[in-house]
Amino acid sequence: MLKSREELKGIAGTVRATCVKMAYNARESHLSSSLSCVEILTALFGGYLNYCDGARSAKGERDRFILSKGHGCSTLYAAMAAFDVITKDTLLSYGKTDGALQNHPCKHLLPELEISSGSLGHGLGIAAGILLGLRLEGNHKSRAAVVLSDGECNEGSVWEAAMFAASQKLGNLLAIVDHNGSQAVGRSDVLMGFTSLEEKFRSFGWNAVSVEGNDLDALLDALQRFSGDGKPSAIIANTVGGAGVSFMEKDQVWFYRTPSRDDLDRALAEIGAEPLC
Amino acid sequence: MRKAFSDTLVRVAKEDPKVVFLTGDLGFQVFDEFIQAFPDRYVNVGVAEAQLINTAVGLALEGWRPIVYSIAPFATARPFEQIRFGVAYHNLPVMVVGAGGGFTYAKAGVTHHAADDLALMGTLPGMSLVTPGGPDELRELMPQMLKLTGPSYLRVGKFGEPEIGHQSRIRLGKARKLLDGEKVAVITSGDIVCDIYPRLKERQGKGLHPALYHFHTVKPFDRTTLEEISARFPLAIVVEESIPQGGLYQEICRWKAETDSRLRIVRRGAPDAFVLGNPTRDELRGRIGVDGEAIMALLSELDEVHQ
Repeated sequence: MLKSREELKGIAGTVRATCVKMAYNARESHLSSSLSCVEILTALFGGYLNYCDGARSAKGERDRFILSKGHGCSTLYAAMAAFDVITKDTLLSYGKTDGALQNHPCKHLLPELEISSGSLGHGLGIAAGILLGLRLEGNHKSRAAVVLSDGECNEGSVWEAAMFAASQKLGNLLAIVDHNGSQAVGRSDVLMGFTSLEEKFRSFGWNAVSVEGNDLDALLDALQRFSGDGKPSAIIANTVGGAGVSFMEKDQVWFYRTPSRDDLDRALAEIGAEPLC
Repeated sequence: MRKAFSDTLVRVAKEDPKVVFLTGDLGFQVFDEFIQAFPDRYVNVGVAEAQLINTAVGLALEGWRPIVYSIAPFATARPFEQIRFGVAYHNLPVMVVGAGGGFTYAKAGVTHHAADDLALMGTLPGMSLVTPGGPDELRELMPQMLKLTGPSYLRVGKFGEPEIGHQSRIRLGKARKLLDGEKVAVITSGDIVCDIYPRLKERQGKGLHPALYHFHTVKPFDRTTLEEISARFPLAIVVEESIPQGGLYQEICRWKAETDSRLRIVRRGAPDAFVLGNPTRDELRGRIGVDGEAIMALLSELDEVHQ
């Protein structure tokens, strides 16, 4: 069932609160990278992908989703729970030994995933292979969406994938780059020589737009924009690391730090939503 | 063997509608028959080996049987992490084909040498390693590899290797006894057997005549046949066109370390070093002592010691 934009904004708050709680529960890091893509995943799951309508659609017909930036997986898990792809109880296994929700997503333990992730630069190319396979079997309907980090776009394999997708006219492929500006150590704009990701994708034969990536309305509008012209599409989502929690925003230590009880309480108060776990 | 590969590819694609062939922009005119018969199932990914593998991963996730083709170092070393992550980690039935394994492209230099292809692929859990000795083995083994539920690596040589011509059954994972003999067992993998088998055959009945066992499958390794060799022979000469790590020799040493076997092992193979100077393949094989002539010389030495 399609949800209203107001409902989706409420879900984004729930997903954000859940991410912080999961990091607290599991003593895990990468929180800034998870929080930056909360609106992206909420928009995809709630307003774009034929993926999670209660239970997943039949395999052949559903859209495919890959979180290629696997380190931001708490957002993926929280969104999967928020949209009933997995149960809320499953969230308690995050970071636990042998648990379904690993620190980087593992398809062996969570079969609902299309593919594992954690090593950067694979998701886009694999999604292109998936779409080629679907086209070969006559399925021109299913789409594939991939969320990448801006740091991930340092990888040459991303651009091999971009070239291939354009040459194969994979118009059902969507890449969203979570452009939060920071990488593990450096700044992505510095490391990419202050060049435009949007122009890069366009020069590879893609449609490309830039939007405010923590603005759910802007993302949902952008997702409606792409026409079926046979070109793959990229959205450069300009986001903020640690978005939605003021003391985490743009502070690189939250790529590594896990929240204390006090941090958790302050963050939840700011977000104003209840976590799912 | 390259012709046997392209012919077998057409055959398996006829039998299995799920077979898709991907190339990293290699194989000029080699796959014309396949392209003509199955234009939709032929994809030239370009000189983009990471994407070559990742395309195969995506196809395999959707139930296709991708066969991925490039020159051996560019099929293995170049996209190693793509194979490790996408193919091996997810245990997908992708067949990686390395054309020009070992020193097939000796003259092309270190960039094109692939004495490490088996070592690299062998580190990956669940990866089967197949290195046929001749076109006849390739024709039999490749369809069997397509029945595997997990990943595999096929080392293919060049054009024009002779058939091995032996009548014994060719079964994936099972070594073949090509010659019976006494006192010494020569153990081979890969197409070096083409050079050794005829010479050992000529030697039958003349002094020391060794048995010849050929391991076209290096992983999973056929320990049963090795146990048989160990029970019958005091000495094995292992011949491989590979570095010492990760191939036939390592598997034999590993087995020996884990058992009470007293089998003495002599190795002839590629060194743990880059081979410089652009020798021809024949020169290089002679230099590292793996060709038929070198093995015959080694046997003569042993013969003298024995007498």
